[in-house]
Amino acid sequence: MRAPTTRQKIIIYALMALVMIFFVGPILWFILLAFRHPSDAYNLPPEIIFQPDLGNFITTFVEPGNNAIQLVNSLIVSTGATLLSLPFALAAAYALSRFAMRGKEFIMNWYISLLIAPPIVFVIPYFILMSWIGWAGSYQAMILTLQTLAIPFSVWLLKSFMDEVPIDLEEAAWVDGANRFAAFFRIIIPLALPGIIVTSMFTFVFSWNNVLFPLVLSKQSTTTLPVGTISFFASTGIYWGYLASTAVVAMLPPMIIFLLLGRYVVRGLTFGAVKG
Amino acid sequence: MRFRKRLPYLLLAPSILILLALILYPLGFALRNSFWFWNLQTSPAPLYHSGLDNYRMVFQVTPFAEALKNTLLLAGLGTFAQFWFGMGIALLLYTHLRGMGLFRALLIMPTTLAPVVAGFLFRYLLEPKGGLLPWLLEGVGFPVPPQGFLGNAGTALFSIGVVDTWQWTPFFAIVLYAGLLSISEEVLEAALVDGASRWRLFWSISLPLLRPIAAFLVMIRFMQLFNSFDLVYVLTSGGPGTSSRTLSFNLYREGLVSYNIGLTAAMTWLVVIIVSVIINLYLFFIYRKREW
Repeated sequence: MRAPTTRQKIIIYALMALVMIFFVGPILWFILLAFRHPSDAYNLPPEIIFQPDLGNFITTFVEPGNNAIQLVNSLIVSTGATLLSLPFALAAAYALSRFAMRGKEFIMNWYISLLIAPPIVFVIPYFILMSWIGWAGSYQAMILTLQTLAIPFSVWLLKSFMDEVPIDLEEAAWVDGANRFAAFFRIIIPLALPGIIVTSMFTFVFSWNNVLFPLVLSKQSTTTLPVGTISFFASTGIYWGYLASTAVVAMLPPMIIFLLLGRYVVRGLTFGAVKG
Repeated sequence: MRFRKRLPYLLLAPSILILLALILYPLGFALRNSFWFWNLQTSPAPLYHSGLDNYRMVFQVTPFAEALKNTLLLAGLGTFAQFWFGMGIALLLYTHLRGMGLFRALLIMPTTLAPVVAGFLFRYLLEPKGGLLPWLLEGVGFPVPPQGFLGNAGTALFSIGVVDTWQWTPFFAIVLYAGLLSISEEVLEAALVDGASRWRLFWSISLPLLRPIAAFLVMIRFMQLFNSFDLVYVLTSGGPGTSSRTLSFNLYREGLVSYNIGLTAAMTWLVVIIVSVIINLYLFFIYRKREW
């Protein structure tokens, strides 16, 4: 391809600078808010350079630290939802990747239709069901219902990774006398392991960022961190300092995981449909 | 031999059974209760059979038509804006100038946030008194409504769309960039040698080759926007009045604020029907040769 001229380069970098200010600027601005003294949240013109103050984080996570338990809850719910979805998704993805069968296309579409269905439609009946069976506000209520998203997503993404494990290796194992199950655990699982890890990381992030299910199905002692941030929205006003400190902690795990995922980000966000 | 034939279905069965249970229960629950009068605040169980009253009430008691219009407007315009802004940024990344790798890594940050957190970010930036954006805009003489962009009936829904576009344009950008990379350089070189302009190259070669990816992305995003709840909840709660209420928020209000379970059940089925029509129309027009 033709190399751009210096003038074109300047225009491209200028546009990219605008793009970066627009997309990354608001996040940085919000992170600064978490380190401001609560009374300075609305100072205009804004102070770019100021004495950082850890008071917000101390109040929300240390003393009295009402939000620390929500951080633990988020970990429990997201990890639980990820671990529960894996066996179901591994079996289904293996079937879809390795067998010719009637209705495969329909089944794939059916999984994805769940991912794009409105979750609010499901969550209201779940709310009533969970109180009937005595699971109201429990971790298992959230972990189980999150499967409506976690399983279809994992099936799609895992299938795309299993498709890449050459079938020859599996066939060689069968020739050596391994049955299908032994071959699955000795060949597919180790070779698809990076894919399984990537899928788990995405499922974790999506569960972590989900607000509707915990908002409706949790109680105060089991609620997750993103839902906890909403409680600083009081009728008397918004406690921006506390809110920002909890929101910053809530945004860290997904950000770090996305950075670790690197080149798999495209594939994960498109459920494996685009390889990237 | 028979076991071999059944094996794939046996492997699929656990996931399909658990998902069916998780879907059919709410749908069945909603279907039954849509014909019953039931308010959870006054009784723990359905009170009496009410025929089609709930379906009629959806239109009389709740701003269903307005919510549907808002939802379609938000999903349609939002997806359109995100696609084309994303495409523009993808083309910038595609120049492969020094530093683009770093830009791409930073660019995805908005998409990693929980939608509620994205909502808070902009709620703070848009505060009518003390927010950075109104202050900057007033500084350059741009008219800012006195109640702020989120408190003004004319701009509330639009603002929700802007925040969602902020969060999801990077998603389109990096996926479309990956799509551009998958187009063979030789095809593009050949067209350039034949004297095609870059503009022509994009419209006649790159864009048609991106079509399968684009169709998939647009469908996913349109439906996610159609289902928007988190952003609406945090930014405007559907207000002022009902000016930014979406279908999901309407369901939430009736079901989990007013506890009008019967009416919510009827609305659930209306929404399920609308969503099915949209998805099937889409599949019919875009995927006539279903590619996945």
